[in-house]
Amino acid sequence: MATQAISTSLAPQKRTSLKVYFWRVANNYVLRRVIKALATIFVVITVTFFIIRLMPSNPVDIFIQEQMALYNSSYQEARDRAAALFAIDLTAPVTQQYLDYMGNLLRGDLGKSYRSQGAGVADIIKQFLPWTLFSVGTALFISFTLGVALGMVMAYRRETPLDYVLSTFASLVSSIPNYLIAIIIIVTFGSQLRILNIAQMRGSISPGVQPGFTLKFIGDVLYHAALPIFVYVLTTIGSWMLAMKSSTVATLEEDYVTVARARGLKDSRIMTSYVGRNAALPLFTQLAISIGFVVGGSVLIETIFVYQGIGQQLLKAINQRDYPVMQGIFLIITVAVVFANLLADLLYGRLDPRIRVGSEETK
Amino acid sequence: MTKTVLEVKNLWVEYPARRGVVQAVRGVSFDLCQGETLAFIGESGSGKTTLGLALVRLLPKSARVRQGNILFYQNGRVQDVLALSQEDLRQFRWRDCAMVFQGAQNSFNPVLRVESQFYDTARAHGMTGTAHVKQRAIDLLRMVQLDPNRVFRSFPHELSGGMRQRVLIALGLLLQPQVIILDEPTTALDILTQRSIIEVLRKLKKELDFSLIFISHDLSLAAELADRVATVYAGTIVEIGGVYDIFERARHPYTQALTHSVPTVTGDLRDLTSIPGSPPDLIVLPPGCAFHPRCPFATQRCKEQEPPLEPVGEGQFAACWNWREAMNKT
Ligand SMILES: Nc1ncnc2c1ncn2[C@@H]1O[C@H](COP(=O)(O)OP(=O)(O)O)[C@@H](O)[C@H]1O
Ligand SMILES: [Mg+2]
Repeated sequence: MATQAISTSLAPQKRTSLKVYFWRVANNYVLRRVIKALATIFVVITVTFFIIRLMPSNPVDIFIQEQMALYNSSYQEARDRAAALFAIDLTAPVTQQYLDYMGNLLRGDLGKSYRSQGAGVADIIKQFLPWTLFSVGTALFISFTLGVALGMVMAYRRETPLDYVLSTFASLVSSIPNYLIAIIIIVTFGSQLRILNIAQMRGSISPGVQPGFTLKFIGDVLYHAALPIFVYVLTTIGSWMLAMKSSTVATLEEDYVTVARARGLKDSRIMTSYVGRNAALPLFTQLAISIGFVVGGSVLIETIFVYQGIGQQLLKAINQRDYPVMQGIFLIITVAVVFANLLADLLYGRLDPRIRVGSEETK
Repeated sequence: MTKTVLEVKNLWVEYPARRGVVQAVRGVSFDLCQGETLAFIGESGSGKTTLGLALVRLLPKSARVRQGNILFYQNGRVQDVLALSQEDLRQFRWRDCAMVFQGAQNSFNPVLRVESQFYDTARAHGMTGTAHVKQRAIDLLRMVQLDPNRVFRSFPHELSGGMRQRVLIALGLLLQPQVIILDEPTTALDILTQRSIIEVLRKLKKELDFSLIFISHDLSLAAELADRVATVYAGTIVEIGGVYDIFERARHPYTQALTHSVPTVTGDLRDLTSIPGSPPDLIVLPPGCAFHPRCPFATQRCKEQEPPLEPVGEGQFAACWNWREAMNKT
């Protein structure tokens, strides 16, 4: 209040300071990055909106085909049912549809599914996303920590039999597509050896198990998520191992590591704070980007193991051309990836003091 | 009589390479006395860094110490460096002998503050109590003419090259080692910074009691700091003696060529005669004296027999068959 009183008497000066303030805000690194992120999201939403509608066929035709095949009904019957069900006008100009969609989106309305008894897209996401976040997130955590640890072992023991074994393993598993490993597991451990009861492991929880903080519930959740998690870990750990190995090998060559040895530091201290911390730095950007993709989960893995996550819903929505659901899930994935990137950028400055300078305002 | 703190006897170090074995250090022997500064000078690639690294056993894994002894004398105790266990070696490094590397620009962990790197070093050697360490660190930083308030809490990238070099020297003195090895401590720094580092070192030498091994290809710097100078050619000491003798009465043709190409201690500029020929190939050494292909005094004998270090004056030794001829020529 006091400042206000003063500033009124110093009006011209206040204007210049406002200008300075404006430039400082405009130059603010964080703000610039946030604006860029929002712009990216807008562009991706727009592009997906139109691409989705460029896909061959449309929700009505697919519904009609399904009805005809399922109930052996005539085309006319199926059409009538479709017309009753779809309270939407797909014949409206696409630009009009786009403007409607964006308008709703700004109000926080993701729309309703064309199918699933018109369930809200937000509700579908709320119901299925947590399972994907849990399974892929757990897998990512295990894969990253284990991969980084093994990568360091490989670097420290490079050119030894252990390194050869681990390197071969890493390049092998990272070159096999995850759905192939999933199918191999089902065929060998499920059908042939009958070690795993694949049918029982389907779904996200067993019927009748009450959600709650009980051992039974947690055990059941892990039981159902075990196979997807295993496959995610197996197919992603290799690249973490190889990335960490090469980063560690490079870091071990750094002068400061030799100097740390000359300083008589303990090997454990050198390994963690001097080698490990610097070697892992470049991997954090990669990690943040992976966190973004967690949301998307893996469409194929969830479908193969019949794990009820968002990926499976996405595949279903694509097959039914359920535009609002597709659009909603793509939106969530985009937002997650973009913000994970943003977070990576900002976090990197926290982890690496050399970057911190750039994120500060120009002094 | 001054005490010997370091004794190196007939040290041989080699690097197996694809083309053959690189003979980086060939039969080097010398003593270092308490409080003394010994400079090793020679062209780049002559094995000076390898020698320094061998003294603290920090050679790359591929290197082999084929022969020799490195003995540290301290409080009547002898440490055979090449025989130390891993843990004893760790303790020995920096506490008894600190080595500041060539290109110290990257000697600090970029993600840790300067203070952490001081504390890390102290803790590794059982010095607990941050207050005590901090006080000593601040005293040392002041001695190397830095502002401790600014430097101690900085990250390495916030300091200039010259400042980092000084911080590293201060860190080297943290544990009061008996010997400090400085490998080209001023290369990659501008001339003014070089000067101030040399000033700092002279001052430190006066105030603290440590022996210094100073490795450089720059004779003028060595001349300002050293008590004794050893010239290294093709992995071996070809001449060693008091700094004045080396600069004014060099007996070995290689030392003569080196000293002729720089301003001398007394400041008079001699004409710059660069050394003709190219540095030797340490894999396939010339037979006899390694310097003979470039030596103006070379005779048949030089091509056949390698000359031993022999006394050529008071505390001065040279490895040359024809040092008398070389002496008369200049
Ligand atoms: N790690 C290494 N592997 C193979 N050869 C090396 C290695 N380090 C140095 N050398 C060789 O050893 C010789 C001496 O090198 P160095 O000790 O660095 O000399 P200086 O410090 O006098 O320049 C050079 O010929 C160099 O090429
Ligand atoms: Mg060198």
